Amino acid sequence: MKKIRHTAQKNPDARTAWGFLAPALVLLGLFVLWPTLRALFWSFTDADLLRPQQAQPQGTANYSDLLNDPRFRQAFFNTALFALMVVPVQTVFAFFLALWVNRPEAYWRWLRTVFFVPVVVSLPVLAILWTLLYQPVRGEEMGLINALITGIGLPGQRWLRDPNLALPALAFMSVWQGAGFQMLIFLAGLQNLNSETLEAARIDGAGSWQRLRFVILPAMKNSIIFVVTATLILSFRLFAQPYLMTGGGPDGRTRSLIQFIYETTFQDRNLGLASAGVILFLFIVAFLTLLQRLAGKEEKS
Amino acid sequence: MSRVFKPLAGWISSALVAVFFLLPLIWMVHASFRPENRIFAGGFGGILDFGDLHAGNYAAAWRRASMGRAMFVSLTQAAGIIGIGLLVNSLAAYAFARMDFRGKNPLFALVVALIILPVEVLAVPLFLTARDLGLTGGLLPTLGALILPFSAKAFNIYFLRQHFLSLPMELEEAARVDGASTFRIYWKIALPSIRPALATVIVLDVLTHWSDFIWPLIVCTREETRTVQIGLANLFTEPPIQYGHILAAAVIATLPVLLIFRLAQTHMVASHNNVGIK
Repeated sequence: MKKIRHTAQKNPDARTAWGFLAPALVLLGLFVLWPTLRALFWSFTDADLLRPQQAQPQGTANYSDLLNDPRFRQAFFNTALFALMVVPVQTVFAFFLALWVNRPEAYWRWLRTVFFVPVVVSLPVLAILWTLLYQPVRGEEMGLINALITGIGLPGQRWLRDPNLALPALAFMSVWQGAGFQMLIFLAGLQNLNSETLEAARIDGAGSWQRLRFVILPAMKNSIIFVVTATLILSFRLFAQPYLMTGGGPDGRTRSLIQFIYETTFQDRNLGLASAGVILFLFIVAFLTLLQRLAGKEEKS
Repeated sequence: MSRVFKPLAGWISSALVAVFFLLPLIWMVHASFRPENRIFAGGFGGILDFGDLHAGNYAAAWRRASMGRAMFVSLTQAAGIIGIGLLVNSLAAYAFARMDFRGKNPLFALVVALIILPVEVLAVPLFLTARDLGLTGGLLPTLGALILPFSAKAFNIYFLRQHFLSLPMELEEAARVDGASTFRIYWKIALPSIRPALATVIVLDVLTHWSDFIWPLIVCTREETRTVQIGLANLFTEPPIQYGHILAAAVIATLPVLLIFRLAQTHMVASHNNVGIK
């Protein structure tokens, strides 16, 4: 088999290969690689949005400005806190949903579909919908969530307008929206779980906690690593929710990193500072991806 | 006792979780038919209030958000990304899977590295590139800005390559012996054989780009170039704020993706079985 593949690869000449590659490489180079390199260049200059050609080099000033900028620090803190709320809650929730609906009967297959519905609805639609659901109490009028909690006798909350509740409210919406997707990945992972091992453990008298700890969790390790890092990276890309639901408020308590970059570019026109933000962001994402690779490697050895 | 009780508890709790996932969307559809002054009224029981339902919000939302035009922009964007994307990505993927050329491995490593660059963060430098290329302003340039940067996609190249690699070589070998050109083998044999993977790519691209927000927010600067999401967002941010119109527009914006929902469900599982977890 190996021999056949080798001769086959030698067959078409290199010119054909480059012909096949050219359209994609040109587009990727122009729209992905080139903008990244330009951002890297601008991050060391005083570039202005309207006159980027006149950018003057100014060393690492943007990076030190960024790290001393209270708005950037707050945006970084908010985004990290958002990720810290979403990742564990969503992963654990989706994991148990998957274990729960992993049964062959039609009813449970239908349930999987139901849990997956919010995943296909677009984020701007959901951000606007949840803003209305979180609507504070005003006389007889209120959003559905306040209607529910005042209905069972608890006091209504101001949710998105409460500095302490706004970010958790955004995180709660994200858990609701994304859990069905993570559940599907876990369900795929559960296919690798050997049902005989599980049955043997049951016969040997392992309780449900022991089966989870010693049989299910080890078999699911790769799925868990993938879900945790993918959710982590996705959470860092937070933008549409704060932009539409809170405008970054109250008191900047929901402003995200991407929103900071967006505002620095289009309101302050400070392309240099925004570019430094872009590069720092890419470092964060690269670091998180590296963590995933390392965790995956450890698993293999 | 527990033989009756256990399944019953399972059904009740599962029904509650199903309600948790569906209630916000049911509320959205229901409220979109309610008169403006009743949308937030009636407490939790309001969701059971079926008096005075009317479809007037839909007509108003369609008109105020120029939904006809916005649908055209969004559907053209999706079709353009899928059409151009499937071609250029599968061509590149086939070259990486089946051909031998100098620098192949470092080039492929570079493509894989590009997967992690998220569009949200590249939007700012990308905007300046689009501006330099003249992809701003009117309808045609804006469609170019909405389509071209997202048609070639590193992840799709990686994903399709995996599927080309999993094909048996024999068929392509036989065609080559019969004198078929490389492009013909790719087009007539390899591409049709990975149809399920192509469907997955289509579903993922439609779901991703139907949701696009920050990029159209930057490039759709004129009313006639707005996508569906931007039209909806404008109803939500520009006075007069009419919640009925906003909700109707939200339902309209959701219908096209619900149409591919079944496809989405099947293929998302398949895709993550294949490449997601390594």
